[in-house]
Amino acid sequence: MDFQGIYDRLRAIEAPGLEGCDEPRPANAETKDKGRGGDPFCLVTPALLPAFLEVCRDDPHLSFEMAADMTATDPGKDEEHLWVNVQLLSVSKKHRLAVKALLPKASPVLPTTSGVYRTNQWHERECGEMFGITFEGHPDPRNILLPDDWVGAPLRKDYEFPREYHGISCE
Amino acid sequence: MGFLEKQFQENVLTTKVDWLLNWCRLSSIWPMTFGLACCAIEMMAVGCAHHDIDRFGAGAFRASPRQADLMIVAGTVNFKMAERIKRLYDQMPAPKYVIAMGACATGGGPYYKYGYTVVKGVDRVIPVDVYIAGCPPRPEALLEGLMKLQEKIQTSSVIRKPARTA
Repeated sequence: MDFQGIYDRLRAIEAPGLEGCDEPRPANAETKDKGRGGDPFCLVTPALLPAFLEVCRDDPHLSFEMAADMTATDPGKDEEHLWVNVQLLSVSKKHRLAVKALLPKASPVLPTTSGVYRTNQWHERECGEMFGITFEGHPDPRNILLPDDWVGAPLRKDYEFPREYHGISCE
Repeated sequence: MGFLEKQFQENVLTTKVDWLLNWCRLSSIWPMTFGLACCAIEMMAVGCAHHDIDRFGAGAFRASPRQADLMIVAGTVNFKMAERIKRLYDQMPAPKYVIAMGACATGGGPYYKYGYTVVKGVDRVIPVDVYIAGCPPRPEALLEGLMKLQEKIQTSSVIRKPARTA
């Protein structure tokens, strides 16, 4: 299935939290498309993301067995939202889907999706430490890459670099 | 040598203690198996047949710091690893030497400005004897660094000489 087919199917089964989609645009090297690449994606309400993913996984026509990736994006200092990006892959149906959710920077809280895809446990741990997102209900919310006592979310655009860490100068 | 001459049978050599000990040390520098990033691939190449670090007596890579004389910091050092490096260095028996291999270990390399967890040079954690430039350095460069270290060991002295007074 192509993106339009997947989107129509999601509309038909009334997938929870589906807000809309981004239409595929004609490829144009001239336009500087700020904030996203060329792939079409579904926009989902953050609070309903786990329910949405569960439908994507269990629907017989979609059957996304695998969450290929989950990450976040900070589009800029002045933006009010973080983007949470999930890449789904169906091995049996041979199609992919990009799912995005806009998360307010003021309260970046998201229910965990690790109950739907267990691989997202590690992805969410990385998202959490790099972007300061709290995943509610995560079974093991420790840092996965950074030291346990690290301060700040390094991949946020407003991140300030540490002056020293455990006596090692960073200047 | 007039005094000692013909006092012994053959097969006796006379030398300086410093020279002998330095020669022993520099001819069998055992490095620690310690690769952190892509520089370690070049270090492995140095250990293989084509470049053959064994020619310098430094081919016995030890898996334990307690049996090693040389720590080749081959790769990017981040804060999480820096404390482990310090601990491993402390576990090595003296005399111990450190080679900072490549741009990352020397001064942070390409991560200098925006690498939020990269230590800007391993010399902020442990003392370094030889720095090797390159990203990554070629195997020849590592061998050159090893020879520089051997030169350095050659000039060291185990005997404390009395301070000269003017």
